[in-house]
Amino acid sequence: MATAETVLHIEGLTKIYRSLFTPAGVKAVDDLNLTLRKGETYSVVGPNGSGKTTTLKILLGLIFPTAGSATIFGKAIADLSVRERIGFLPEDAYLYDCFNGEELLDFYAGLFGYSKRKRAALVEELLTLVGMQANRKVAFRECSKGMRQRIALAQALVNDPELLILDEPTSGLDPAGRHQMTLLIQELKRRGKTILLCSHFLAEVEEVCDRVGIMYRGKLVAEGSLPELAGEPEEVVVTFRGLERVAGAAATRLRERLHTAGVAVAPEAAEPDETPASSAPAGAFATLRGATGEVHLPAAHESKLWVILQAVNEAGGQIVEVSRPRPSLQAIFVRAIREVPE
Amino acid sequence: MTPILLRIMLVVGLALVVSVIVLTRRAWLPGIGHGLPSIWRIAKITVAEARRRRVLQAVIALVILILLSMTAFSYLSPQEQAKMVIDGGLAAITVFGILLAIFVAAFLIPNEVENRTVYAILAKPVRRSEFVLGKYLGALIVLAAMVAVMTVVLVGVLVTLDHLIKDQAGSSFNPNLAAVVLAAVMSYCSLAVLTALIVLISTVSSTTMTVIAALIIWAVGSLQSQIYVLAESNGGAAKLFLLVLYYLVPHLENFDYRFQAANFVAISVPSAIGAVIVGIGYTLVVLVVASIFFSDRQV
Repeated sequence: MATAETVLHIEGLTKIYRSLFTPAGVKAVDDLNLTLRKGETYSVVGPNGSGKTTTLKILLGLIFPTAGSATIFGKAIADLSVRERIGFLPEDAYLYDCFNGEELLDFYAGLFGYSKRKRAALVEELLTLVGMQANRKVAFRECSKGMRQRIALAQALVNDPELLILDEPTSGLDPAGRHQMTLLIQELKRRGKTILLCSHFLAEVEEVCDRVGIMYRGKLVAEGSLPELAGEPEEVVVTFRGLERVAGAAATRLRERLHTAGVAVAPEAAEPDETPASSAPAGAFATLRGATGEVHLPAAHESKLWVILQAVNEAGGQIVEVSRPRPSLQAIFVRAIREVPE
Repeated sequence: MTPILLRIMLVVGLALVVSVIVLTRRAWLPGIGHGLPSIWRIAKITVAEARRRRVLQAVIALVILILLSMTAFSYLSPQEQAKMVIDGGLAAITVFGILLAIFVAAFLIPNEVENRTVYAILAKPVRRSEFVLGKYLGALIVLAAMVAVMTVVLVGVLVTLDHLIKDQAGSSFNPNLAAVVLAAVMSYCSLAVLTALIVLISTVSSTTMTVIAALIIWAVGSLQSQIYVLAESNGGAAKLFLLVLYYLVPHLENFDYRFQAANFVAISVPSAIGAVIVGIGYTLVVLVVASIFFSDRQV
């Protein structure tokens, strides 16, 4: 349901690519519904060919939907005035190779009808924002991938857009470049921009996004904030250290106590290798590595936590942390696409 | 006219109007574009891109070399030499102009789509028709500069030759420079028409197909009077095909004033103006169709 706070609203969007050889067509986007609220950073993640870029291209009017509709700021995407308020960073920074950053930004600013003076001020501001003042005269084709991506981001910002559409902004960048781009996106988020980001770099998505939509085979298979997607924690993890102070006897005693409590103990391996007692909480296991250790207790058996804490304490161990880790976006992503029926 | 015929005409007319509306629906997007400023910006970047292409510079250098080499025919009489230089020079301008037009225009839009540079432009408030017109205007400016350089060199060669002949033989061939310049301008007009057609074809086909089609159009356009004679001497499908070619393909030969310039025959200014007006009308129609086609293209 679109409200005053809705920046982007997609309803039943479908795109089928047809050709002579595939008259039935290939469904690139399948009945997509999505709403983006003002000021939020939304990321569409998905494997290659899942329909992310096709969706963005439809929103930008580069290709046309087979069915469904989309509005930006309450107006149909075909309305040219919408593009006064959006900025687009294409994947792989497809800009004119023979021009330098300064010329490119001046050109793109000119497409908004800005005066020469305004363009000059904008170019300065944007080159400063993306850290390209020193390399402003370097031809685009001679720029490193990171520099190209920063200029491409600057061109997306020439009209101070309210909605930024970023297609794989860190694609092909080295770790340092990715970090810089992530910082830039965070800065834009801090400035109140609404951001729609497509990526398959899940780590960057986790860092910057408020909500995530997982696309697979053209469909949005899961959507929500990271905590919503992660769901309730599945286990409690007790991390402890200090076993060296009480030598081997204490460790043996701890091993026995944990075993009695039904925790499988794996001394060296990451996975449990002992059969726990019959009363064992399913999946509970501990790993002991030298002076440190971890006990993983399924959330359903959290009542056993007190017994475990006592056992560690009596063995002379020091509790470092009791945590309820949520699954990473990677794990959420894999789970979501596994649940899609073939 | 019978009522049945009227009804048929009404239905066909309505169908045509509906078809035009359906076909052009994306060409007239709601919202405000920036019109001329956008067209001008796109034209400027097209010119700037072309300026940095070494191939164009090399072609110009080659044409200049050919024009200068025409001074070497000193064994001819002054009149023959003048005719030779003017005819050859204008032919060089036309042929290389056409090659340049094909080279510049055939790549204009396909390159933008293949290199995906069009994404960042069409994501801005730029109508697709503005993009097509901007690209066309850019190509026109590039071609104008090229033809101007070639014409200046040709005129320079003619003036130099005239002086040399005056010094050596005491005679002169008094080249009609105005006619030479007018012939070059008309040659440029034919390039403008051809470029519009190339742009139109490039909105719906690949670069290779565009180049082939452009060469065919040039050949057909330059032989229109023969095509009409051929059509008249044929019948059935062949006649129909040739007549379609005759009426659809621009009559580029109407812009050819080489013979008049080289043979010191007076050029009919009204006929030249007529050709230019028809050319402008044809070009406008072609550009509108190109804009409609490109507006419907998925990039």
